[in-house]
Amino acid sequence: MSAFNTPLFALFLTLASYRLAWWLYERSGRHPLAHPFLVAMIPVIIILLLLGISYRDYLAGTAVLQFFLGPATVALAWPLYRQLTTLRKIWGQVLVYILIGAPLAAGLAIGLAAMCGAPLDVIGSLAPKSITTPIALEVSRMTGGYPALAAGAVAITGIVGVLAAPLVFRLLKVHDDRIRGLALGLVAHAIGTARAFEYGERAGAYSSLALGLTGLLTAIALPWLWPWISALLQ
Amino acid sequence: MLDGLLILLAFQFAGDLLVRTFDLPLPGPVLGMVLLLVALTTRAAVLQRVAPAANLLIGNLTLLFFPIGIGIVLEWDRYSEHGLALLVSIVAGTIIALLLVTALLKLLLRSPP
Repeated sequence: MSAFNTPLFALFLTLASYRLAWWLYERSGRHPLAHPFLVAMIPVIIILLLLGISYRDYLAGTAVLQFFLGPATVALAWPLYRQLTTLRKIWGQVLVYILIGAPLAAGLAIGLAAMCGAPLDVIGSLAPKSITTPIALEVSRMTGGYPALAAGAVAITGIVGVLAAPLVFRLLKVHDDRIRGLALGLVAHAIGTARAFEYGERAGAYSSLALGLTGLLTAIALPWLWPWISALLQ
Repeated sequence: MLDGLLILLAFQFAGDLLVRTFDLPLPGPVLGMVLLLVALTTRAAVLQRVAPAANLLIGNLTLLFFPIGIGIVLEWDRYSEHGLALLVSIVAGTIIALLLVTALLKLLLRSPP
């Protein structure tokens, strides 16, 4: 094994590319299309191809990062707890919103993919695309999806959501930061929440709340409902 | 930081243990998150120490899933035949979802902020 085909090099390459991507993201004024997920891919893919390192080896080398997705999921309890006071005034409306909105986002992903003739394993990867990645990866495992497809779909959903949000808000004449936050958090998870904070603290708080509740509801309902959904699709 | 990590691992383990013991259809870390949320509402001072570790992990979510997510490009030949379904579901699905939930919110939150 060469010095390049080691966990050390895989981690170094990942962290260095991620750091560089963040720097460019900041320089771009945080443009959604310059998101670190997209930009960091470029140097990593080029170097892996040049050195002939397989995706499987790279994934094994960076296993320590994936391990921390578990604790990161548990950690989502913290921002959710911090936003519970936000919920106090309009908890009824927010609950109704999440109970309708979360199944809607998942249902659209499932329905559109099925209409285009995608097989069940692909649909299972797309179903949790509106929820935050650590939870989505856990859910996709239970719906028989591919982790890579699930993680990629989640990231691109976040980026598309952030790109579309200003147009949607203008079209529907939204001037309420509560609505901006709740919409971005439900559809575009953490990427949307980062954007919501740019509308203000209040939008960010509501977005964190929607992100946490949507992830929670989807994680509880989707694996449980999946046997029926997949029977329906077959 | 160490205390925070310890709290996260303890709750993740508790969630994992319950899921395996009772064969629950729920990801272990998600149950761990629910348990931690419930525990936090008791306002126990020691649990506030979760903050530094929690913020560090949440602030770098992209880094944590990046190696998995890059597979969508590196293993594209595995998914390419479903390219259209992926495009429609991800791009159109997201825009339609955003339109519908925003309209729903306008209905639900008609009172001024």
